[in-house]
Amino acid sequence: MISSLSFINQKGEILIYRVYKDDISRSEITQFCAKMIATKENKESPIINIDQTSFIHISIKDIIILATTKTDVNVAMVLEFLYQLSKICKSYFQGILDENCIKKSFVLIYEILDEVLDYGIPQIADPNLLQKFIQEGGMQQEATISIDKFRSLTGTITGAVSWRPPGLHYDKNELYLDIIESVNLLISAKDTVLRAEVVGSIELKSKLTGMPECQIGMNDKLLMGKQARMTKQNGGIVIDDMKFHPCVGLPKFEKDRTITFIPPDGHFQLMSYRISENINIPFKVNVFYSEISENKLEIRLKIKSIYDKNVYGTNIAVKVPVPKNTVNVVSATGLGKAKHEIEEQSVIWRIKKLQGDVETSLRCEISLGATNRDQTWSKPPLKMEFQIPMFTSSGFRVRFLKVMEKGAYKTNKWIRYLTRGGDYLHRL
Amino acid sequence: MAYFGNNQQRGELQELYADLNDLNFEKKKEAVKKVIAYMTVGKDVSQLFQSVIKCLEFQDIEMKKLIYLYIVNYSRQKPDDAIMVIQNFRKDVRKSENPLVRALAIRTFGCLRVPKLNEYLIEPLKDCISDDDPYVRKTAVLCVPKVFEVSPELCPPVLEQLQKLLEKESNALVLANLIQSMREIEVVNGKQLILMNPKIIQKLLLAVDECMEWGQIFILDYLATYDPADSKQAEIIIERTLPRLSHINPTVTFCAVKLILKYLDYLDNGDLVKNLCKKISPSLISLLSWNQSEIQYTILRNISLILQKFPILFENEVKVFFCSFNEPYYIKYEKLDIMVRICDSKNFTQVLNELTIYINEADPHFVRKTIKSIGKIGMMYDKALNEAVSILVEFAKNVQQATEPVQELFIQMQILYRKNRNLYKTNDSLKILFNILEYANEAEAKSACAWIVGEFAEFIPKSVEKMKEYIDNFLIEDRLVQLQLLTSGVKLYIKYPSQCSALIQQLINSAKDSFNPDVRDRTYIYWRLLSTDPEVVKNLVCSAPIGSSQFQKDIRLWETKDLIIALENMGSISNLFHKLPNQLYKNIKVRNNHQQEAKIYKADEKQEAPQKDQEIKKNDQNQQQQQQQQQQQQQQSQQQKQDFDLLNFDEPVSNNSNNANNKVDVYDLI
Repeated sequence: MISSLSFINQKGEILIYRVYKDDISRSEITQFCAKMIATKENKESPIINIDQTSFIHISIKDIIILATTKTDVNVAMVLEFLYQLSKICKSYFQGILDENCIKKSFVLIYEILDEVLDYGIPQIADPNLLQKFIQEGGMQQEATISIDKFRSLTGTITGAVSWRPPGLHYDKNELYLDIIESVNLLISAKDTVLRAEVVGSIELKSKLTGMPECQIGMNDKLLMGKQARMTKQNGGIVIDDMKFHPCVGLPKFEKDRTITFIPPDGHFQLMSYRISENINIPFKVNVFYSEISENKLEIRLKIKSIYDKNVYGTNIAVKVPVPKNTVNVVSATGLGKAKHEIEEQSVIWRIKKLQGDVETSLRCEISLGATNRDQTWSKPPLKMEFQIPMFTSSGFRVRFLKVMEKGAYKTNKWIRYLTRGGDYLHRL
Repeated sequence: MAYFGNNQQRGELQELYADLNDLNFEKKKEAVKKVIAYMTVGKDVSQLFQSVIKCLEFQDIEMKKLIYLYIVNYSRQKPDDAIMVIQNFRKDVRKSENPLVRALAIRTFGCLRVPKLNEYLIEPLKDCISDDDPYVRKTAVLCVPKVFEVSPELCPPVLEQLQKLLEKESNALVLANLIQSMREIEVVNGKQLILMNPKIIQKLLLAVDECMEWGQIFILDYLATYDPADSKQAEIIIERTLPRLSHINPTVTFCAVKLILKYLDYLDNGDLVKNLCKKISPSLISLLSWNQSEIQYTILRNISLILQKFPILFENEVKVFFCSFNEPYYIKYEKLDIMVRICDSKNFTQVLNELTIYINEADPHFVRKTIKSIGKIGMMYDKALNEAVSILVEFAKNVQQATEPVQELFIQMQILYRKNRNLYKTNDSLKILFNILEYANEAEAKSACAWIVGEFAEFIPKSVEKMKEYIDNFLIEDRLVQLQLLTSGVKLYIKYPSQCSALIQQLINSAKDSFNPDVRDRTYIYWRLLSTDPEVVKNLVCSAPIGSSQFQKDIRLWETKDLIIALENMGSISNLFHKLPNQLYKNIKVRNNHQQEAKIYKADEKQEAPQKDQEIKKNDQNQQQQQQQQQQQQQQSQQQKQDFDLLNFDEPVSNNSNNANNKVDVYDLI
């Protein structure tokens, strides 16, 4: 399996280096570092083979996490492990993973590395679970924690419900649900939809007492279809694929498509889903580029929001590509502000808030410099970013969320919906 | 601070030494941390070994972990000192009430990797394997391959214990680690250790539902190498695996896909196979749009393998592989590859439209690949031919300098012309190409240009002058270009004997001095032939090829006989590089042995799989042959209508062996 793990900074210096098998030498890692820094553009694939040693790496901002191996391991597993490792580190460092916190807390990271892999084989990579027995500044002294507590801890780790320790208590039982959808859209220059896809995720924050079992149901056509015969409800939407957190009982889902789970404590992603049918595209965009003169270009852009009137899109940013040799941009907008951003090579039009069923427009006059006149400019696609609360592009809805536990058990539940632009592209 | 004067590191060590031996616990702990920090940056702190291990007397877990880390790092350098730690380990393993401490001790003990210490390890290890606490057991189980690697001679009793544990263990996590650990030993040992029986399979399937994601991966990975006894067993295992397709960990999903794909061959029920394909496809598509591009990449690299087994799996899903503007290029390359693979007679227009967009991308390698793909699609589907050519011609119109994609343009155009000579008329393609001939600078592209000039001499103004230019530089050209220039020069001579007599003389004179023996040989052959019977040369060199376009759509990446092994290893490093494990790793023992055994044992089933494949392929071939026949007929009829102004000869299929080779090279899938 994995021979060694290292954390490397942008300069190619090794910050953390942990060996799990001694078929690897430090000099091989330094060689790799030199290579990584030499090819800064990172065009190369995430896995490189040099003399029977495989270097598998991911980059989290400026930090490279590198695994090496000399055996024929499952690459996807190693990569997924590295990602989970980065999540673990972030969970210890308040969501940040950078050189500073690594240097400051290297002892902690070594402790983590000791637990997540053994002989290079992944063991525990659940941040919530690890926090139970690895803490910054060391565990409390052994004397103060009874041996029983350790026993119950190892019981939890190795048990069937490893993600939730027993005996949790909250005065108020609360459950927060976030449904977040990313719209991936590709529209051709001729305005036909080449690809429209929603990748959604349900995130849960649970503050629940005991070991409750929950059941969630949404307007899944397959499930609704079954019930519709009995209750005469409308059919739901077609969900192409769903992927669940380990806490969801998969055999039960496979059997009758009901989703039941004992939730982990705190924040986690319950499931992700993918939908490709009947997507409501939230914006209609029309763009016209016209050359006024030799060095003047006019761009006219129209956006129409095609969601309900009582829904508001927020933080909308339209990135309109402009040529490299753009010197000056004069723009007039119906709503919001437009600004030429040189690093992005585009005019970015930002609208704070846009009501549904509203049309607005942008007109830009672009003065071009004299360079690169011979080469025709191939326009990159126009990109849009946005957030629309209380709206789902796919029509996805949660119908119910039951919390089942013995006795008088009351739970307060909150739900939020959000749709945002993912890879939302218009080719020009 | 430094007693020893100028050497600063020496001074630091001295200071650490003092702190480690200090009576104050906090000071000691800080010192240990510093030692580890030095170790991390690569400084040698092995001299402090004795002082560090003295600190083990404290029961503080954090400090213990650090010291263990230190010991593991230096035990091989200081085996004699390491012996002193043995007592501590044994005490921890045997006496500690805390399961975490017991596990930590046995884990570290295994990592010492000093042969002479291992004999002290066997007894405590045995104790730990039968410990009451599953956490200790799961750790102990992983300790066995560590010991086995260093001192295999000590291990037989422990291995036996493992085999017994496999029978009776009920904790899912321990089982998963046990399977993985035994597999690691099998790889080193070369002997089969895991003895499967229906009861154990039942247990493993149960454990998949209960254990952590990594354990699920180990078990599914292992089961994928198992050959089910019969259709029923395969069906049961598949059924129990299906729920894993919905796991959030992409590797769990992928392993489930792998297992199902492999077991499909064992199923009798054809409908079930179809149903399963329907279930696998959406799950895989989710992985293909996974938001972590590294993982997406590994899945993409494996798609070709899956496609070889199931060409229909992504039948209507070509859109999934459309490249997004901001994706890393390593993803775009793979997607492009797959698009060509799943391009068929129905969706080629869609694919070509998409590729047209990529031609404008910034990365020259990517554009080159795009052009190559367009050429490939044109070759594969006659209906796509005209469209492909017009896209390429459109590109050629904008060419202003000798870039990498331009080289590929010449190569692809030459290949397309070879397929259908009449294409030179389409959109003035020949004229446009002729205007940019000077931009060819790679050997293969130049040789393509030389071919074009020779082949279409009668339609190119000043073709003789152009050829003269080439021949003036003959000796500095690459072998490939020289060979083509020879043939093209001869062609030109045959077409315009009076204008070219000086030219051919110059050509033969230069060519016979070529450093390359192939070139010299061919020169002499042409020379002799020309001087004896020019008619023969005419027949050989100048003629419209008929039936020479034997281009088949071949999406095979693997030999059919290797397919099963490749499938079993789907997702592994070797597979990522499109190789078999033993091709990449010379020292792999068990998989080979295992495979051979499996082959003999499962000869019947194994034959079935290739047969299925062959059937699919046969169908493909049949279709292609039909297509080809149609196309040939079309060509023939077209040719009859066509009047060739000078020559109209039939040509043998392989007009020269080198060109035929070229074709194969170009059409080898990347």
